[in-house]
Amino acid sequence: MDVSNILASHAAKYQSVTVEKETPLDVDAGFLTVTDLTPIDEDSYQSNLEDYLKSTARDGIQALIAALYGLPTQPSPDGALAQLPEPTTKLPRAKPLPKPKPPTKWERFAAAKGIQKRVREKKVWDEERQEWVNRWGKDGKNKEKEEQWIHEVKANADVDYDPVKAARDERTSRVAKNERQRLQNVARAQTAGGEREERKKDIEKTLASTRISTASMGKFDKKLEGEKKLRGVKRKFEATETSVEQEKQASLAVLAKLDSGAKGPRKGKSAGDDVLNVRKAIRTVSKGKGGVALARETHRKGAKGKRGGKR
Amino acid sequence: MLRTVKPRNARSKRALDAREAKEVEDVRTAIFVKGTHTGEVVNGVMKELMALKRPDAISFSKKNAIRPFEDASSLEFWSNKNDATMFLIGHSTKKRPAGLTITRTFDSKVLDMCELGIDKFVNMAEFKTPKSTPGHKPMMHFASELFDTHPRFIQLKSLLMDLFNGEVIESICLPGLEHVISVTLSPAPSLQTANPILGESQDEDLQNLPKVHIRTYTVKLLPSGTRIPRVELTEMGPFIDLSLRRHQDADPEMWKAAMRRPKLKKQDLEKGLGKKRKNMEVDEMGDLRGRVHIAKQDLGKLQTRKMKGLKSVPGEEDGDSQDSEQEEASRRKRKRD
Repeated sequence: MDVSNILASHAAKYQSVTVEKETPLDVDAGFLTVTDLTPIDEDSYQSNLEDYLKSTARDGIQALIAALYGLPTQPSPDGALAQLPEPTTKLPRAKPLPKPKPPTKWERFAAAKGIQKRVREKKVWDEERQEWVNRWGKDGKNKEKEEQWIHEVKANADVDYDPVKAARDERTSRVAKNERQRLQNVARAQTAGGEREERKKDIEKTLASTRISTASMGKFDKKLEGEKKLRGVKRKFEATETSVEQEKQASLAVLAKLDSGAKGPRKGKSAGDDVLNVRKAIRTVSKGKGGVALARETHRKGAKGKRGGKR
Repeated sequence: MLRTVKPRNARSKRALDAREAKEVEDVRTAIFVKGTHTGEVVNGVMKELMALKRPDAISFSKKNAIRPFEDASSLEFWSNKNDATMFLIGHSTKKRPAGLTITRTFDSKVLDMCELGIDKFVNMAEFKTPKSTPGHKPMMHFASELFDTHPRFIQLKSLLMDLFNGEVIESICLPGLEHVISVTLSPAPSLQTANPILGESQDEDLQNLPKVHIRTYTVKLLPSGTRIPRVELTEMGPFIDLSLRRHQDADPEMWKAAMRRPKLKKQDLEKGLGKKRKNMEVDEMGDLRGRVHIAKQDLGKLQTRKMKGLKSVPGEEDGDSQDSEQEEASRRKRKRD
């Protein structure tokens, strides 16, 4: 069977959907964008601008559509939804990244102890009424005690002891405590980290330096009550015995340094063809006063000499 | 500085929360502002661009004395006030006729700017062709190698993408793809790719920079006999020819902060990427069923009851190999019991 004319008629009916370009098109399906990095063809640009623009755009969009129709889809009432990949082009954000909320005291404690968060149901079963009631709020279960019509009172209770009021006070104080703790958490979240901590560290550093800035390096200073002992930096030494591998590494590092001819930071800075270290020379000649002072000195000397000549 | 507003009710609280910074951001809202003088051309261009940008566009109907390259304080104020992060400023002066400045902000501060001169403008009404539905996402097409090499055009591409297509979305309705914004450059043989050593002697460079042709088309999808349809384009308008003028690059620090990405959860990413979830299925009852694969258990290492007599004594191992074999055999026997 010859299918060539069937194929030919098919080809005539439908135009091709493939796009051939020298440089492959850069398709960013996440942003529905296609970039054609082929240089602009000057001849066709000059001869017919609009047609040229349209044809390049068509080729690019054909490639983009091909990429989009190749993506996995989900059906929806309005048509197929293509699941887009992450965009490859990086665009700047409009607002800085949101800062994570600082954890509350309880959250920190729970994290340390490994306590999982558990959602408490809002309704509880009431045996007497045989229905679900609110745990708190309107007709809440937590008000049960203060709303019951008869109360048990101990024999030695005060004359003016009001069991309803006692139950109510207990509940309201729990609410008040929770509110207080919430406010503390808010206050802690505001001060946590940032400026306050930094300032504290700064002050401590300044205090430490002032304490050793007296003639006796703070030895004979009056101590304030509750003043902490100054702690310096502890010196650390390498272990006397290390593994052969480590020792080898250290020695090789030294040898490599010697071998490469790398110089120390000071020598490296002045490295070049200057034979004279100008800064050092100025320092020596001016006896450590600096170049400006030296210039002034020489100038004054010259003036003096002249005056002396006049005399 | 705007006063910080404390929400008085739930509705205003929701409105304020919507303005807060988010991990995955919303689309940038653009404000269209007119400078002290705008000509007919600039007005037309702004109107048409706004039609393309709708509904995330705010129009300022009055004229404002702003010069974005000299003083950006009012832009920052508007950005704060309107929760908008992009500006299109139209202005026309004797020195720079028919200009359009695209400005992008980060954290209510101006990030970068690019001024474009309008050379030619053909509006939408001049083409008697079907138009796209407002609010539909456009497809974008950029053509020229300079969009990958020249810093000015990299910036322009970034700005235009941010203006029309900057939102990260999970999925797109394929029949809803209606129009194309195509940005093509004119050929520029004399232009070498940016020379950072020479620096930018701006005026001289600007003459050499190629023109920018912005064209919008509607898409017609024809059957092709395959899954992928054949694309045909129809002119929609506006057609705008632009030339680059002044620009302001982003401050490197600020740019770095703006390019920071959130660490998204892997689960979210996989969901967004449209990956197939493996080993999970929903059965007829609507229950989620998972399949778990576990390696075959090694029963040889199973700890049975410990007995003192079965402990291996280090001294005994030095004995004959036969001896130890015998012992092992007996041990196995005992284990089986």
